[in-house]
Amino acid sequence: MGMKRGIMRKIFAIAKKELASHFKSPVAYLILVITISVFNVFFFMILDENREASLRDIFKVMEFMFVFFIPILTMKTFAEEKFTGTMEFLMTTPTSSTAIVLGKYLGSLLFFTLIILATSVYYVMIEFFSSPDRAAILTGYLGIWLEGAFFIAIGILTSSWTRHQVVAAISSYVIVFLVYFSVSFIKYFQGTAESLIRYVCTMTHMENFAAGLLTVTDLVYYLSGILFCLVCTRISIENRLWH
Amino acid sequence: MIRAQNVTKYFGGFPALKNISFEVAKGEIIGFLGQNGAGKTTLMRVLTTYLPASAGKVYIAGMDVSRRSLEIRRRVGYLPENPPLYGNMTIREYLKFAARLKDIPHRQQRPHVERVLKDCDLWEARDKVIATLSKGYKQRVGIAQAILHEPELLILDEPTSGLDPAQILQVRRLIKSLEYRRTVILSTHILSEIEQMAQRVLIIKSGEILADSSIENLLKGPGGTSEDGRRVCLRVQGVRLDLEPAIGGIPGIKLARWASENNTHGIDLEMTHPSGDFNELAEKVARAGGRILEIKESKVSLEEVFLQISGNKDLSHSSRA
Repeated sequence: MGMKRGIMRKIFAIAKKELASHFKSPVAYLILVITISVFNVFFFMILDENREASLRDIFKVMEFMFVFFIPILTMKTFAEEKFTGTMEFLMTTPTSSTAIVLGKYLGSLLFFTLIILATSVYYVMIEFFSSPDRAAILTGYLGIWLEGAFFIAIGILTSSWTRHQVVAAISSYVIVFLVYFSVSFIKYFQGTAESLIRYVCTMTHMENFAAGLLTVTDLVYYLSGILFCLVCTRISIENRLWH
Repeated sequence: MIRAQNVTKYFGGFPALKNISFEVAKGEIIGFLGQNGAGKTTLMRVLTTYLPASAGKVYIAGMDVSRRSLEIRRRVGYLPENPPLYGNMTIREYLKFAARLKDIPHRQQRPHVERVLKDCDLWEARDKVIATLSKGYKQRVGIAQAILHEPELLILDEPTSGLDPAQILQVRRLIKSLEYRRTVILSTHILSEIEQMAQRVLIIKSGEILADSSIENLLKGPGGTSEDGRRVCLRVQGVRLDLEPAIGGIPGIKLARWASENNTHGIDLEMTHPSGDFNELAEKVARAGGRILEIKESKVSLEEVFLQISGNKDLSHSSRA
């Protein structure tokens, strides 16, 4: 019991430190400003074009934006600590690797959640001027949040592989792009390979959420993806030969 | 406190540590001495559970490092070669963060942080951002972090490297002030530092322990050139042809080195002379028409011992000259 509480405290301590370090870095503010302004532009464009009270296409834009900015957000999580040597500090305090990984993940996830919360203004506007499909917006937000959470897990994993932030960012771009765009290659595959790619691709899952569909398959997809990446991250930081 | 048995560490095919065994008793202050790349840092990383050994066992406070690493980390304070600091935090924020990770109970965190801030002379700077601090300050913050949880074993990797003389003195004084309660391991390639701070020294070269003894023993031990005798440096003015047989003829005196420049001679002697004084020497020199300009007793320096043990004799000569 005391042990469990101790671990939770450490996870929160690390998450707090991560969140604070995001706010101390100009990169995070840049991401915040750019994404919100891009969302604004698209919001009015899409609204003007579609003339419907839904965020469905907005979610597509968000999804696409997150593919670009999440690797930048997460690239430093482990790479910077390895580069400056603070990793040696973390790993020689009585803190388990699991707590370190979860703390770091939570810190980035909180920052990302703040960005998502900032976009809820759009919902308020739509609600103000019309009567949107609330269920679809809610599941859409859940979907976009899960997708971001998945990308962050990927970014943290690649950051644990190297001490160079740029290498971490490029590696996570490669993986996130593959996961996001893989459905475009589907016509070259058949049978099991085809359905596998359809499963792996985030777009197919996100579509359901944006349409107001909440299925167990989609939830399992994101949660298992996140879990897989975090477990791999733990293995990667435990394996000190990867320096 | 520490028992290392046949510790070996490979990086790929490269052996960084070869079959190292040693023991450290509680309360001892021990220095790891070796050139850069000798394996000091790797050995420390194995002791702090940061790196697993490829083979062999390490026990700290009776616990196996590979099995009970979290418990050991609670008892060990570690300062890596580059102090592991977060540049964007203030000193106090950093130490608070460290206190949380080091399992210091919530209520005691503040007093612990305040104590090390005072002990390490950081109180005035406590709200400064770490990135803006000088190297000496950063090093002291690193030490503060290492002693924060009052560890039984303190491991300091090159605690004074890269500091200016005033800062070195500060850090040395700080380490000295800690020693009475704790077992301390420190590494350095600066010999005088070991001489001043440690009681015992492990000389490490290419991943092997070349010598393990107290500083005293090392200075008169097999590595030193003078057996039981004293080494004396003499500067004499006179004619060499007269002086050499006169001085060399004194029983209990051995000429080790003779360097002449015009009529001035620099002579290294080894004296096992029973009386232990210089009366006979002075007399003989005067009788040979010489004049003693200087007599100086020299101890074998740790530097020479170190270089001799690590088999670098050429350097040892040039450093003496």
